[in-house]
Amino acid sequence: MSRGSSVSEQTYFVLAALLDGPLHGHAILKRVAELSQGRIILAVGTLYGALDRLAGSGVIVVEREEVVNGRKRRYFRITEEGSGLVQAEAKRMQEAASVVTRRTLGATFS
Amino acid sequence: MTVLERRYRWLLRCYPRAYRTAHGGELLDLLLDSAGPGRRVPEAREVVGLVSGGLQARVHELARGNPWRDGLHLGITAIMVVNTAALLPYLGSLPIWVVVSLAALLAIVRGRTLLALPLVVVTGAKATAIAAGAQLFELTLIPVYPDFLTGRPLHSTTGPLAVAAGYALVAASLPILRGVRHTRSAWWLAALPLVAWAGPEWISEGGEIFPLSLNRLVLAAALITLGAWAGHVSRDPRWALGSALYLLVLSTEMAQHLDFLSRQHLAYWGLLTFVTVASAALPYRYRRHPLD
Repeated sequence: MSRGSSVSEQTYFVLAALLDGPLHGHAILKRVAELSQGRIILAVGTLYGALDRLAGSGVIVVEREEVVNGRKRRYFRITEEGSGLVQAEAKRMQEAASVVTRRTLGATFS
Repeated sequence: MTVLERRYRWLLRCYPRAYRTAHGGELLDLLLDSAGPGRRVPEAREVVGLVSGGLQARVHELARGNPWRDGLHLGITAIMVVNTAALLPYLGSLPIWVVVSLAALLAIVRGRTLLALPLVVVTGAKATAIAAGAQLFELTLIPVYPDFLTGRPLHSTTGPLAVAAGYALVAASLPILRGVRHTRSAWWLAALPLVAWAGPEWISEGGEIFPLSLNRLVLAAALITLGAWAGHVSRDPRWALGSALYLLVLSTEMAQHLDFLSRQHLAYWGLLTFVTVASAALPYRYRRHPLD
């Protein structure tokens, strides 16, 4: 997914993390690490840069803000457009993967 | 406050003030939560993330309003820095004109374009007259020798046409910018001594006829490259326009010495032109994806 892909791997996993419901920054970091099986550990500055960019594109929105220990914490929610985008990306990757797996599985069982 | 928190707070200065006020606490909480116990030094990837994220946030904050008008303002600010820096070493001989030029630059930086216009016109007229060896407004002993930062008399290597072009471009742009107040960082004023300083010798051939100080070369190349990166990040053409205007004035200066230009002169001009063209193209690059 790195080169030649339409969505970066980091963006893909951030959007995927939000599919189950709104999350704040810390929860997104943990969820991305879980979903990628520890492969993607986002830096805080990188995460918020991505969240600002995605919010600017209308792919995610700030659902609500909470004040914890006197500091604001934003909860981000994926929009319908964002959900459609990440699902289309998953389908594209699935189709691309099947081009290879069909052959290797076919070779194994033949 | 722990040592780690103090260091993260310092790194958060990479972000614009408004961003820090709105979200700085949220980022700080997360940075401290993510850090291991007893940690005193920020992790390298967090440092890179904060510097990169902060600079990008600054670029997006700057890329607001009409890009063409703001790009014009950016370009004339850079040109006025060069114009004022050319006069700065002659403070002792031309104190009034240095002060008037500084006032013009300050007015431009603060977005007071109509206030800047008469100051730019009179300073430009005086500087052009000196470059042409003529007297204007007051009696001036020509050549004008410097007090510091350089060893050459004022405009001894720059013709009146190039001097006039620099001021005329600024003066012609100022009325276009009236109405909307464009302001720039006070850091532009800090560039003055760096541009004014003759600096280390760099041009080995033709340098005595058309000298270009290494510090000015490095500063211009760095700013134009930074502008190209900003244009890439924000997909905004304002930095390309600013660079193109500076390049136009530099090209006028170089055109006056066409017969004496060395390979080093041309290589430098070529480099700046290449980066400027790239910065003009980058905002319009193909969008592979809605999120690209």
